[in-house]
Parts: sequence; structure tokens; C-alpha cells
Amino acid sequence: MMMSSVLELTTKEKPQWCPGCGNFGLHMALKNALSELGIPREKTVLVSGVGCSGKASHYINTYGFESLHGRSVTVASGVKLANHELTVIAEGGDGDGYGIGSAHFLHSFRRNIDMTYIVHDNSIYGLTTGQASPTSQKGMKTKSTPHGNLEMAFNPLAVAIAAGGTFVARAFAGDMAHMKEIFKQALQHKGFALVDVLQPCVTFNKLNTFAWWQQRVYKLESAGHDPKNKAAAMEKAFEEMSSGYAKIPTGIFYKEERPTYVEEAPQLASGPLIGHAVKSAEIEKAFEEFM
Amino acid sequence: MAEFIWKIGGEAGMGIMASGLTMCKAFTRGGLSAVGYPEYPSLVRGGENTFQIRAGAEEIHAPLKKNHLVVCLNKPTADFHKDQIYENGAIIYDSSATKIDPGEFGADKTLLDVPLLKLATDNGGDVIMRNTVALGASIALMGYDISLLEHVLTETFAKKGQQVVDENVKIARAGYDYVAHNCKSQSESFKFKIKKKSDSKKMVITGNEAIALGAAAGGLKILSAYPMTPSSSIMHYLAQKELDFDVLIKQTEDEIAAVQYAVGANYAGVRAATATSGGGFSLMAETLGLSALSETPVTIFLAQRPGPSTCLPTWTEQADLKFALNASQGEFLRVILAPGDMHECFQCAAKALNLADKYQLPAILLSDKYLSETFFSCDKFEMGKVKIERGKMLTGNLKPLPPNARYKRYLITKDGISPRPIPGVAGGEHVAGSYEHFENGYSAETFSVRAAMVDKRMRKLTSILKEDFEMPKFYGPEDAELTLMCWGSHKGIALEAAKILSSEGIKANVLHFIFLFPLDAKNLKKLFRKLNRTVMVENNRTAQFAGILKEYVGFKPDFKLLKYDGRQFFPEEIASEVKRLKDKGWKGKKEIHVIDDLSYDYLQAGKVER
Repeated sequence: MMMSSVLELTTKEKPQWCPGCGNFGLHMALKNALSELGIPREKTVLVSGVGCSGKASHYINTYGFESLHGRSVTVASGVKLANHELTVIAEGGDGDGYGIGSAHFLHSFRRNIDMTYIVHDNSIYGLTTGQASPTSQKGMKTKSTPHGNLEMAFNPLAVAIAAGGTFVARAFAGDMAHMKEIFKQALQHKGFALVDVLQPCVTFNKLNTFAWWQQRVYKLESAGHDPKNKAAAMEKAFEEMSSGYAKIPTGIFYKEERPTYVEEAPQLASGPLIGHAVKSAEIEKAFEEFM
Repeated sequence: MAEFIWKIGGEAGMGIMASGLTMCKAFTRGGLSAVGYPEYPSLVRGGENTFQIRAGAEEIHAPLKKNHLVVCLNKPTADFHKDQIYENGAIIYDSSATKIDPGEFGADKTLLDVPLLKLATDNGGDVIMRNTVALGASIALMGYDISLLEHVLTETFAKKGQQVVDENVKIARAGYDYVAHNCKSQSESFKFKIKKKSDSKKMVITGNEAIALGAAAGGLKILSAYPMTPSSSIMHYLAQKELDFDVLIKQTEDEIAAVQYAVGANYAGVRAATATSGGGFSLMAETLGLSALSETPVTIFLAQRPGPSTCLPTWTEQADLKFALNASQGEFLRVILAPGDMHECFQCAAKALNLADKYQLPAILLSDKYLSETFFSCDKFEMGKVKIERGKMLTGNLKPLPPNARYKRYLITKDGISPRPIPGVAGGEHVAGSYEHFENGYSAETFSVRAAMVDKRMRKLTSILKEDFEMPKFYGPEDAELTLMCWGSHKGIALEAAKILSSEGIKANVLHFIFLFPLDAKNLKKLFRKLNRTVMVENNRTAQFAGILKEYVGFKPDFKLLKYDGRQFFPEEIASEVKRLKDKGWKGKKEIHVIDDLSYDYLQAGKVER
């Protein structure tokens, strides 16, 4: 077991992302966070969904699993329950996590399985070449909404807090240092940690560009926000919309300590399931109960 | 007399299932073989619930249609069973609660009006305990040993304290004494009797419980599932035992998550499975392909019920075989096993976990409502027969990989199976996933690689046939003039049908398939050549397994006997159809649909009372 450098955490597979994509910065920040925390590569599992974000598991040299569209959190949850000594990270896009995988998104918060969930939130479907996503703004013109999106945008942070999230944060892909710090805190958090990463899709989202975000984002910690204050967190989660997209907070919205699923499951108290033996004597004893 | 068929019926909520199970155990405590067959509509209160027990000195494999004694706790039970009581059979009812016109039953029948409610309440019991009175009364009428029922009641209620035990025993005894003293002449003229055979004890268990035990014995550590009849009792049983067996039960938000959790856990090296029925399995279809392409083991316990859509949730059918075989896009291999009795359920559950691990693919264990929820008596399971095979899973650290390189998780091998390091193993870092890939897991849109990977995965088929395929088993005389072919749940039913046929001078044997896919065409062809006349018996409309045999083995049975009305075949139905065929000189229709008109009455019962 040894800590891995950023270089060691890189694979030889050539990224398929467009030049200028927010994913590059996001991954650099994640690799830095993993390296600085000294988490060994072989003890890390990165599960991705399908979409541009789905390639995540290919480019970071840990154990990786590229699941189905919308299903990174589910495979990641299974991994964590099987071996809770692993550091488990799930990644996916906004369509992946807030659209097709929204049921899993919702229930992950109340379940509180210890893992980090990073959402590459670019408010568009990139890999399928530019349709509206759950976080596309109302009125946004896309390939599937050429006359303007009729639906209001999904609010992942407010939903996460309401659903029982114990770590709800947002980062901006244009601020790598800040993003890295948030990732580090998420990785260290005991419980299910959501980091919604605002990032431009340089090819298909002409509205939410780097410059557009840059003008609007600000850091919650600089504004004196107390992440333990749930009501204030909820208010901040709505600020983007209530300010008419004038002010978009980033940082840790809400954080609380709550026992995790792993901590509360009696079967896991003696160590990861991976090492558990078959309870043959108990099973044989159970035969008697049918007599 | 060698056997006795007893049935109790009433509304859901009257405790039909519990008293049925108690009675079933009372029979097996007397060394008898028994099958306890419950039927119920899809609702929690009201409707018509029944529990039938067929018990006998010889091995009982399946329920029969008719009964010697029916306990009617409500009027519909009496109405529905008028034609389902053997000549000279009996009913027990309570005229204070159930108005029955004796004229509706033939003069040959014994109608025993027992004050079930009054005896229950007079002896300090609740209204619901009229069941227990009825059990005692039934035992008196059939001449069975009341002490065996008392033993079962004593053990069942031991946890609730001596007072509850005493109360139950007293109430059962009241029913027994009432019939013994007040219905003496009727009891004496009722000629169906059943006697204790020995003191030997057997298990009384359902298919789902046997599957759950087999899975636990086979090293299952996580069951992630979403409730769906008739699979739910796999989860219920394991949940109740989760601490003793050290198995984690995760009820998820939907079936997609259920199978996904299992895939994730298997990827991390822990045996995990899910249990579901057709509707849930539909939602799992995409992940089935994920398991196949990422070569991650996953085991699915699929308990069939009639489809399509929600259809008949609490009834039975064998119509998801082709769906199990073809679900999910693309072409890939999967293993399908369909056990036919309790020992096979136990062993197959463990075997499915082995096959999934060994061949790194989805393994599906196919049962159905009939097999999953019917109680069968059987000897204790053999733990010693369960072997755990993890295949090429790697758990020890490997030599370090070159910088920035990844482990060749999808190494092209002769047998199609690649070594599989699990997370935590240094030197095994790799990416597994849903895209076609190179040996090292990187996405490949290279045609030669794509073709090579398809071939690699398909090569597992040869390995399975060589190492793990099991030929179907024969039961009965080798020189039979007729072979009843069947799969999964219909084994016992076919065995009983063959028994009836042989008692009527038709020598029949049974060929039962557990290993439904893949199929060893070469050896099956050889075996089929030896067969005389064949009748394929399937609980579906389109003879799905016959279709699969035709496609993969090139075999066609002479006759197909199909039933798809929501219930399994009854042995008598198979026997009478076969006799009819023989009477016509085997020249009748090649495909016969059996529709049991009685089931419609049952199905309507729920609707009417809703």
C-alpha cells in the first residue's frame, strides 16, 4: 500500500473529451485530491456512468467500472457494501444522475452509504450531441428544444438537502484549487457526499460558458455561510434561481455527521463482507426449524 | 389408506396459511410425506384463500385436484369445492357462520357441522382460532393422531409462553373431542382415514426458502432486491436470518438498483444476488447485458408468474423462459437453471452462484409461484454437497504493472475466461465496463478486437458444456412406451402423472431438465434418439422449451401438452390427456391446451369480493 502521485494516477488511454472541456480540470483536481490524501490506487474504485463523464473510469488509474447510463451510484453502492475499506467514487453527468438515474440519486442520501458522488453538471447532453438536460435553464434552445426548453431546471442541491444529504457541495470546473479542496473534504466525509460540478460543454452548450459561470460564481465560505445551518443551506441552494442566475454559490452548502449505512449494518461491524466466511453451522441449524 | 387430501379455505385474513402449515407439519411428524399447496388472490383481505395438503405414506410429489375433506370457513369455499371432493368425501363447516344447503352436495358426502366459533370462544380463544378447532376436528374425522398436532402447536407457540401453548392445545383438543363424541356415527362411516407411519421428522419447506438456504450455503453475502410476488419470500427468509447467516439484505428503490448493487458487490468479490419476478426482471434487462459485457458475475433468482404486465400476481406460469434466455440487447451467453424439487432448489441456488463466478456471466435460477410458494416435505439438505467455486477470481497481490498501464482484465484465453482481480489487489488495477474493449479494458472500436472479444465470451459455452452441463434425468421405467418431458417446477407433477398412468396400464417415464441453457446438443441428440413416444408438458401457451430444443438440438416432441390459465398442471390432467391420446391410437392433435375451468372460479372470487 503506497500513496500515488498524480502521474501514477494517470492512464495511457487518450481522453476523448473536446479540447477545453471542463472534465480535464475536474480530473486533475480529483487526481490531486486522491494523491494529497494518500489514498492508494488499488484501494480506490471509481465507478462512472455513461456520457462524456463516463470515461472517467478510463483515465484515472485506480480500479474502475464503467456502468450503464444513470447507474454509477448503484454499482458503487454495491462495491462499498461488499468491501467498505475501499474508497469509492461515483461519477456521472447531469443527465445521468439527475435524469435517468434520479431514483438512485434521491435514495442515496437517506441511505448514506459512505462514498463520493461527483456530477459533471454542464446542463446539456454532450455525448448525444446536445439535447436539453434536467439542469438546462428554462427557455434554453437545444437540439431537442429548438423553440426553447419549457421545463424549469432541476435543483440538485435543494433536493439533496431535502432528501437527507449529509454532504452537499458544488464546485466550479474553472477553479481547480477550490474544486480540489471540496473533493478532499468530500472524500474524507463519512457518508454519501455529493459534489455538483458546474462546467461548460464547450461544444454543445453555448449559454453556460466558462465566462458565463465565471461572472456569476462566488464562494460560500467567503460569504460566511455556515454549512451546519440547514435552513441557510436550503436558501443558498435556491439562490441561483431566486437571483435570476445573477449569483451562483459554490462550496459546501450543507454538512452533517450522521451514522452511515455501513456503520449501522450489524453484519459489517466485524469488517468488510469480502472476508466473511459462510456460516455453515448456523445454516444447518436452520434446517431444524423447518421440521 | 395410503394417502389423504385435506383442504381448508376462507377469506384472506382468516389465518388459512398458518393453519395449513401447522397441519402440514402434523402430517410430517407422523413420518408421512406431504405437499402443502396454498392458493390466494392478489389482495390482503377478503377473497378466497385455500391451503391444500396431500399427505401419504409414500413419497408425495405434487398436489392433486380433488380432496377427501374440505374445511369451509366461508360460503365461497363450499361453493367452489362442491365438485372437488372425492366420492364419499366430507366437509367441515360451522352453520353459525356459513350457511350451506346440504342438498347442494351429493348424498355420498359427509357434512360435519362443527361449532368452530363457539368452541374457540368458549375455550378462551379468539374468533381467528376457529382454525385450530377445525384442525382438531379434521384429525378426529380422519382418524389421525391428535398428539402430533399438539406437538406442532406446542413448538410453534413455545416462544409466546406456556399460556398461549396451553390455550392452543386446549382449543385443538376441543375440536377433536367434539367430533369424537358428537359425530361418532358420521366419523365411523367416513371411510378415508390416515395413520401415522413413523416418528421420523422431515423438513416442510417452500422452494423460495430452499433457494434462500442454498444461496446462503453457497456463500451469498448480499441479497439486493425489490419486493415482487412470488419472489419476495426469498428476501423475507434471508432478512429474518440475516444476522445468523451473516448475509446483508438490501431492499433497494427499484429492481434496476437491486441488480446493480449485486453487480457492484460481485465486482468487488463478494457473492451477491437478486430475487425478482417478470416485471422486475424486465427492469433488470439492461444490467444483464452489463454483467455479460463487463464479465462480472451476477445471480438472479427469477420466480415466474403469469404475464405479460402485472397480469396474475399470485398465480403461476412457466412463460419467462424465452425472456430469461433473450433479455437485453445483443448476443451473449447466460446460464439458466430450473430446479424441480426442494433439494434441487437448494443445490441449484449454490450452483448458480458458482457458475456466475466461474464463467463471469449472469446465471438465472428459474422457479415459479407454484414451486416457490408450495410447501414440500423433504429430508434435511446436504451441506456437504455444496462446493464453492470462485473460478479465476484473484485475491492475492500481483506483480506491479508498468507505469500508467492497466491490468489485462479481458485477456484472450482458450476457455474464454480471463483472470479477475478484485479491488484491493495491487497490480490488478483495471477498468471493467459496458463498452466493448481491448484486453486492458480500454474502449475499442477496432473491428478485429470486437470480433475477438465476442468470440472469447462465446467460448465459455464450450467450457460450460465440458465442465458443468448436466444432462436431463430420467425417472421411471427405461422401457416406457411414453416419456413425459418437462422442466423446472413440473418435475413432481409429471412424476405423479406417470404414477397415475402406470396404475392404469400405461408405462410412462419422466425426463426432467434442470440445466435449460446452454444445451449440449450432441449428447442430447443421442439421448433423444433412444426415446419412444414423447409428450412435452409446459405451463405456458407457446411450448417455449420445446422451441428451444428445436432451435438448439433439432428435436421435436411428438405431443405438446400446454396449460396457461394461471395454475400449474395437476397430475390428473396430464394423465387423462395422455390416455385420450392413447385411445385415439396416438393420432390426435399434436398440441393440446388444457384449461382448468375451475381456476376461473377462483380468479373471479377475488374480483367479486373486492
